[in-house]
Amino acid sequence: MAETGEYFHRFPQSKSVDAVRWLSAVSAFDRFVAAAVHDPDASSSAAAAAIEIHSLTLATSPLSPNIGEPSLHVRSSWPSPSRISALRSSPTPHKHVAVAAATLSGSLHVLFVDPVDGSIDSELSIADRSLHAGLVSAVDLLEGGRECITAGEDGRVNRVTIGEARLEYRRVYDSRGLVSYTAARWGSPMEFATGGLGFGVQWWDQRKPGGLVSQFRCNWRQDKATGIVHSIDIHPSRKHICMVGGSSGTIFAWDLRYQQQPILLSGVGHDGRRVSVSESEVWEVQYDGHSQSSSVTSASSAKILPVMICSEDGILAVLEQGEEPTELLVEPCAINAFDIDPQNPSDVVCSLEWETIGILMRPRESIIA
Amino acid sequence: MPGRPSDPGSEAVVPFSPEFRDPVVYPVHHGVRPPLLRVYVAWSRGSLLHLACLRQPLPEPESEDSVDEGEAGGKVVEVRLRAGEEGISEAHRRRIAYGSVPAFALLQSRKNSLMAMSRMSSSLLHGEWWQHVLEYSKNISELLGTRRLSSNMVIEDPRMVVQPSEEPTSLKAAWELMEIFYVDKQSLTWLPERLVDWSEEYDSLLTRTELTIHSKLVNMQKKLANVKVVEDDPDYWEGMSSALAVGWLDIVVKLLRFHGSYQLDQLDNRETENGLVEAVAVLVSTMPRLRPDPSSGKLGQFCKTRPDFIKAWEKWRGHLSKLERSAFWVQCSHDRTREGLQKLLKIMLGDISNITSATCHWMELLVSHLLYIRQFMVGLEGLNNLAHKCRQLKPTVHYNGLMSLLIGILEESPEVVLAECSKTFGPWMVAHGIELLTAGSDHADILLHEERYSLGGISVEELHRLVYAQILSSHPLTCQIAPTYLASCPKQGIGLLENLLYKQPIQHHQVILKNLEICRLYELDNISVNLMKIAGMYNWKHGRRGFGIYWLQLACDEVRLNRIAQQLFDCIGKSLSDDSFKQWEGLLELLGTQVGSSGGLEFLHKYRDFKRTLKQVEDGRASNAARQAAESLMQLMRSPSTPRQFWLPLLHDSVKLLNWKARPLLSVSEMNLLLNKLQDLSMGKLMLILTAAASLSALCISGRKILNVL
Repeated sequence: MAETGEYFHRFPQSKSVDAVRWLSAVSAFDRFVAAAVHDPDASSSAAAAAIEIHSLTLATSPLSPNIGEPSLHVRSSWPSPSRISALRSSPTPHKHVAVAAATLSGSLHVLFVDPVDGSIDSELSIADRSLHAGLVSAVDLLEGGRECITAGEDGRVNRVTIGEARLEYRRVYDSRGLVSYTAARWGSPMEFATGGLGFGVQWWDQRKPGGLVSQFRCNWRQDKATGIVHSIDIHPSRKHICMVGGSSGTIFAWDLRYQQQPILLSGVGHDGRRVSVSESEVWEVQYDGHSQSSSVTSASSAKILPVMICSEDGILAVLEQGEEPTELLVEPCAINAFDIDPQNPSDVVCSLEWETIGILMRPRESIIA
Repeated sequence: MPGRPSDPGSEAVVPFSPEFRDPVVYPVHHGVRPPLLRVYVAWSRGSLLHLACLRQPLPEPESEDSVDEGEAGGKVVEVRLRAGEEGISEAHRRRIAYGSVPAFALLQSRKNSLMAMSRMSSSLLHGEWWQHVLEYSKNISELLGTRRLSSNMVIEDPRMVVQPSEEPTSLKAAWELMEIFYVDKQSLTWLPERLVDWSEEYDSLLTRTELTIHSKLVNMQKKLANVKVVEDDPDYWEGMSSALAVGWLDIVVKLLRFHGSYQLDQLDNRETENGLVEAVAVLVSTMPRLRPDPSSGKLGQFCKTRPDFIKAWEKWRGHLSKLERSAFWVQCSHDRTREGLQKLLKIMLGDISNITSATCHWMELLVSHLLYIRQFMVGLEGLNNLAHKCRQLKPTVHYNGLMSLLIGILEESPEVVLAECSKTFGPWMVAHGIELLTAGSDHADILLHEERYSLGGISVEELHRLVYAQILSSHPLTCQIAPTYLASCPKQGIGLLENLLYKQPIQHHQVILKNLEICRLYELDNISVNLMKIAGMYNWKHGRRGFGIYWLQLACDEVRLNRIAQQLFDCIGKSLSDDSFKQWEGLLELLGTQVGSSGGLEFLHKYRDFKRTLKQVEDGRASNAARQAAESLMQLMRSPSTPRQFWLPLLHDSVKLLNWKARPLLSVSEMNLLLNKLQDLSMGKLMLILTAAASLSALCISGRKILNVL
């Protein structure tokens, strides 16, 4: 996009970038990004995958006095035994930032990163196949970084407590492969949502026996093309709504209060009409705090809050209910993941298919005015 | 490749270079103790080689326990082969590959739409076409590297003449050369000036082994940093005349201003000398140049049209000869200054012997000729003759790839150009450079687009695209851009794309979805169905039954779903208690209620519903639940999709409904149906009856009861 082009910066990595997350920073000038990378050319398979902590610095130049020219440098790196399939980060009450990473081989690793210098201080992991048999497709850290949930293709849902010296897990559910899970997100310290095949969404409550409280399966598409949920986001102020993104450009909000009437933001509706921002896989959805602050009316109304999505056909866009989507980026390659900086919601980091980390710095209000 | 490895020559699809280098021996560490019995070599993905090294079996077989872990009987070692090409790293090569995809795709789609719109023959398209190709070429060229000055050179060193910058790559030099000669039709009128610019940028690449003006100037600059009185140094004057010979005017003017006579303390007693130096500097900086863009930041007096240029040139020459004959030279006391300045004037006046001695490489001599002697050189033939003469004057022992490419271009031989591109710069260059080549001349266009029997009916252009696509698909990171190139191959592209898609890993659903997306883009519906079937069976076999069924449902694979259904029924039949039925819930949710979408599996859904209502009946809660249960029981019993092994359990369940106290739930005909099923079963398997004697008797008793009531 012409107007966002100057705010978008590409950082080629020479290995594939599978996931990216902001780490909450202490200083506004030195921020950190965790990236899960994979290098198929590495000499041994053990050295192929890693988590890299990059520091992002802004250097003001005479050409652009308002917006600093960002630069990205690797501060530290942690070799992962297997390629990373999911990555999340959360600040902890102690000084560290927790980074949880799940792998294709079914292991879970939690790194503790020093938010001052970006070094990795310690690491806890469950490396055997007891947690998951095979790919862990989703991991989510609870705010505060003391607990996380993992969900996998093997049909297991686990709740992992992050202790001082070790990780302990409790199996919430095991479908023995009859059902696969592909997304997971905390709603509150006791509740979380998972997503799976056929646009299925499940809501779990730890206080209830069995855990599963309600579930939803898409039935608005009568034809054969149904889809897989890739990402779920839940806004802290509206815990009853799951924002779901999946195959065929489908993005919908599932409201626990009106479980049979999901609100379709993009995709093919009841009447077969297509209202969509993309026709391919939507890999990630997140509520976009930046767009929210710029639209005055939505804060108090019952409208769905604006969400950002990225897709296989290279689109990064913001969607608002009942409005045309705003495309922030249209890339020639897939955007596999993105993360909005919770501290500076105008800044977005994304991973592009072509071995690149992208940083989008949207102009803030003050700059526009 | 669709090639046959045997008998090279006319049959070979991929042209092999006939020069074989001496074999090189590389040691491979396999870690297996000798003696080795056998070594198997097999190609793996891309440039990976698998070596399987097997040891001689031990003469006396030891027992399993005593075998040491380290003493393996053999090992498989992966060996990665890399071409030791200079300059560009693998990662950078991939970056170029990624970056060129959008430009290439845009050009292809424009070509297709132009073709479709006008149905013109390709030769008629040339009028407009070259502008599109030029845009493409500029995009690619930008990708290969940025201009010399990097942004951190804001503060200039006053003593710096040759800017230290990133080493230009020969890949970019070659690309620009092709752009100058083949694409940019506007540049044809000022070809000499473009060659001057080109040589200024890439002079250091002309040769690695011999002296060039660039290397001469770099050496001189190092030396000058330590010299106080520069005009006493012969290298200073020599460097200047060399720079002037190839038209690097700004460097010459800058160097002239270093002259000692400019220093304030010497200005008085060297007034005449300084006047001469300044006069030459002014003449150098006002040299007329025939080029359209005055904004290039270069020195000189720019003329857009030829008459303007001739006028300006004559005037300038007049000034030059006036200065040369001037009486002031006698008053110039500094000998080196006088000689040096006069040499500069001679070069500008086009004195062949001075020009020849000032230049190092034949390409530099050629540029010099174009600048001072033959400014109106047009047509490749004349240029080629001139280049030939220059090569005789400045013979080079070794022609590198770039120079061979230039000679090929000048000789108007697309075959040579293609061969040099392929040999020196690799398949990327060939696949992308062909676009420039075909835009340039009809001869090349025909040559490259002609379908050849020897290539299996494909054209040379398609062949090189296929080769490039194969290289892309050999690396797991670049294989997702290979479809763009395969799709542009009309004959074999789609077939190879299908092969490529079948070979992709299917372990993870993200990868499968990415491949399905490619199928969607290129409308390969049957491939996507097959991929889903493969993925479905893979997941099913690896215990992810839900995922397996999901993919098979998407693929509408009735046959496999029915087979799977049989296996599932066996499983469920074994674990029929209501508790364990709960774990099937999620799967059944997935199956949905639509008939036909899931083979025989919709039975499970109905069965689950029946079980649910039956549970309610047992709890004694709802009275209409009993009616519902009876209805769904009858549906199940009537449905042909109900598997036979479920009949007995269903009959067993029906007893509960028959014993319903409130009112009879089944009619006579329904009762008869149940009894018929029972009879069927007893005919089929007598043993079953024995084991189900209880249910049989119960059924009979209830049946009789009902009949009595009626």
